[in-house]
Amino acid sequence: MIVAAIRKDVWLLLRDRGALISLFALPIVFILAFGSMFKFGDGDHQPRVIPISYPAGSELGRKIQRAIDGTLGVAASYVPSDAEVRARVVSEAALAGIIVPADFDPAHGRRIELVLDLAGPIQIRGPLEGVLTGAVMRALAPVDLGALPAMVDVRSPPGLAQPLPEASGFQISVPGNAVLFGFFIALTTAMSFVGERRTGTWRRLLAAPVSRSAALLATLVPYYLVGLAQLGFLFGIGAGLFGMRVAGSLPALVVLSMCVSLCAVSLGLLFAAIATTEKQLGGVGSVMLLVMGLVGGCMFPRVAMPAFMKSIGLAVPHGWALDGYFDILVRQGTTIADVLPNIGALLAFAVGFLVIGLWRFRFDA
Amino acid sequence: MTDAVLSLRGVGKDYGKRTAVGTIDLEVRRGEIFGLLGPNGAGKTTTISIACGVIAPTRGTVEIGGIALATAPRQAKQKLGLVPQDLAIYEELSATQNLRYFGALYGLRGAVLAERIAWALGAVGLAERAAEPVKQYSGGMKRRCNLAAGLLHRPELVILDEPTVGVDPQSRNHIFDTIRALRRDHGMTVVYVSHYMEEVEALCDRVAIVDRGAIVALGTIEELVAAHAGKGFELELAGDAAAARAAATAHGAVSGDGAVLRLVPTGALAPAIAAIEATGARITSLTSRGTNLEAAFLALTGHALRDGGP
Repeated sequence: MIVAAIRKDVWLLLRDRGALISLFALPIVFILAFGSMFKFGDGDHQPRVIPISYPAGSELGRKIQRAIDGTLGVAASYVPSDAEVRARVVSEAALAGIIVPADFDPAHGRRIELVLDLAGPIQIRGPLEGVLTGAVMRALAPVDLGALPAMVDVRSPPGLAQPLPEASGFQISVPGNAVLFGFFIALTTAMSFVGERRTGTWRRLLAAPVSRSAALLATLVPYYLVGLAQLGFLFGIGAGLFGMRVAGSLPALVVLSMCVSLCAVSLGLLFAAIATTEKQLGGVGSVMLLVMGLVGGCMFPRVAMPAFMKSIGLAVPHGWALDGYFDILVRQGTTIADVLPNIGALLAFAVGFLVIGLWRFRFDA
Repeated sequence: MTDAVLSLRGVGKDYGKRTAVGTIDLEVRRGEIFGLLGPNGAGKTTTISIACGVIAPTRGTVEIGGIALATAPRQAKQKLGLVPQDLAIYEELSATQNLRYFGALYGLRGAVLAERIAWALGAVGLAERAAEPVKQYSGGMKRRCNLAAGLLHRPELVILDEPTVGVDPQSRNHIFDTIRALRRDHGMTVVYVSHYMEEVEALCDRVAIVDRGAIVALGTIEELVAAHAGKGFELELAGDAAAARAAATAHGAVSGDGAVLRLVPTGALAPAIAAIEATGARITSLTSRGTNLEAAFLALTGHALRDGGP
C-alpha cells in the first residue's frame, strides 16, 4: 500500500510543474547566485586585486606592492595615477586601493592613503583595513620582517579538522540552498494532506481497510523519499556542475541528509495539523520556512552573524543541518561521529514536530 | 440470524455541546437498495461517515457484514465501498492510475487488480477514456470515475453519498443503471444517500427519512406514503397569499410558492380553510395530493425537502 502511495505521489509530482520548479530548479538558480556572491576574488581562488599608485621609481611604493602581493587573499596592481585608484574604488571595480604620495612624511601629516568606502559593511571593511595596513607597516619596518623567524602559526584548534584548501563559495551555497529548499518539502507534504482533505481522497483513504498510522505514512513516506531525492539531486548538481567537494565522509553526508528530510516531513505534518487551507500554507508556511532558513544561516553564513543571531540559529533545525554539512563538506576527515550532535539535534526536532503534529492532527476534519 | 449487511445501533455523534446525529438505529438488508433521504445538513453524511469508520461515533455500535467496526475495522471495511459526495479522485491522474492506487488500498494487485480495473471502468462506461487525465472528463464522467473507485474490490455494501450532484441526465441514468446492475449481477447491497426525492423514489426499496440528526421514518416507499402522505392538499389562492400562508401554518405543514400552497394538515382540513379565508384570501381550487414521498416527507418533517429544514 505504501508502494502504491509512493507511485501515486510520484505521478502527481511529475505533473505538478510548480512543485518541480520550486523543489529542483529554483535551488539551482539560488546556488549559482549565492555561490558567485561568496567567492573571494574575481574567480575561484583568485586574490582580490588592490590598485596601487606611487611616483615613478618610488622604492617605498614597490616595497608596499611586494608586501601586498605576499599577503593571503590580496594582490597589488600598479595604476599610473591617484585619481585612477580612487575611481576604481568609487566604481566598485576594487574594494580598496593604496596611494603612496611623492612627499611621504608621516611626521608632517603626509601619509599613505588607504582608499576605502567607509560606508561599507564592517565585515568587509574591517579585515581589508587590517590586511592592507599590516602590509604597509611591514614595508615600512626598518628591518626585513620576512627574514625574521616565523612568530605566528595559523592553526585550527583541536577538534576542528583541517579545511579543504581553496574551498569555493559553492561549498557554502550548495548546502545552504539544499537545506533551505530541502525544508520546503514540509510545505509540499502539508499541501498534500490539506489537498487530500479538500478533495475527499483522505475520506476515501480512511474508509479503506487501512490503519490511521498507515494512512499517515502513505503521505509522509513518499515525500520523505522525494526530499531525499531532492537533496541527492542538489548535492549531485553541486559536485557535478559547481565543483563542490566532500571533504569528510560520504556516509556522513547521506545520514545527515536522511535526518534533514525526516525533520522536514515531520514539520510538514505539524503544518498540516495547524493549517486548514492551502492558502494559509502558501502564505504563512512559506514565510516561516524562509525566516527559519534565514536565521539558520542558509542565505547568510551564521559565522558572520552577531553572537546573538548565531545562537538563535541553533533554535531552528536549519542551523544544525548547515553546521553538519559545513563540517562534512569543508573539514577534511569528518565522520558520522563528528556530526552526531547535529544528527541528534535534527532527530530531536523531528520527534518534537511529530509529537505536536500528531497531537493536533484531525483525522476526521 | 439477521441478514443485515449494515447495522447501526444507538449511533450518535456530538461535537462539543452540539449534537450532529442524535441516536440512530438502522439495519440495511442484504441485496436491497436503501435510501437515506434528507435535506442538506440533516446528518446524512455524518451518519454514513460513522458507518464507514471515517469518524468515530460518540455513542453506539456499527456492524458491517456482521463484523463490529470498532473491534475489527480492517475486516469490516474490506466489505464496504464508499463513494463520497466529493470527487475523491486525483484529477491530474488518469482513471487507470486512480484505480490502481485505490485498488491497492484494498490489497488488490497484479492481474487481479488489472482485471478489476477493467471491470469497474467497463461498468461505469469509461473503458475507452481510461488513459486520459480525469481533469479532461466532463462532470458526469468524473462522477462515474468516482463511483468506479468505490467498486473495485467488489464490496458487499456500497455507500453512495449524493452520487449525482452536478451531473447531466445522461450520466445520471448511467449511474442508476450501474447501481441496479451491481445488485442484479453482483448481489451488492447499496445505501443511496440523497436529497433528491425523485431519485430515491426511482431507485430504492426502502427509505429512511433523516431530519435534524434523527431518523423520522423508515419503510418502503409505499409504506411511507400510505402512513404519512394521505392528507396532502394543493390550494390555489387569489388575494393575499402571504397572509393565507401564515394562517395555514397554524394548521399543518405548509410549502409551495406564490399563489400555490401545499398543505398537510395536522387535523381536519375545514379549520385550515376557515383560517385562510378569514385573511381575505380566496381559494380558487383545491386538489387532493399526498400520494408520493414528497408529501410524506412534508408531513413528517413539516417542511419541504428543498427548504433544507425549517
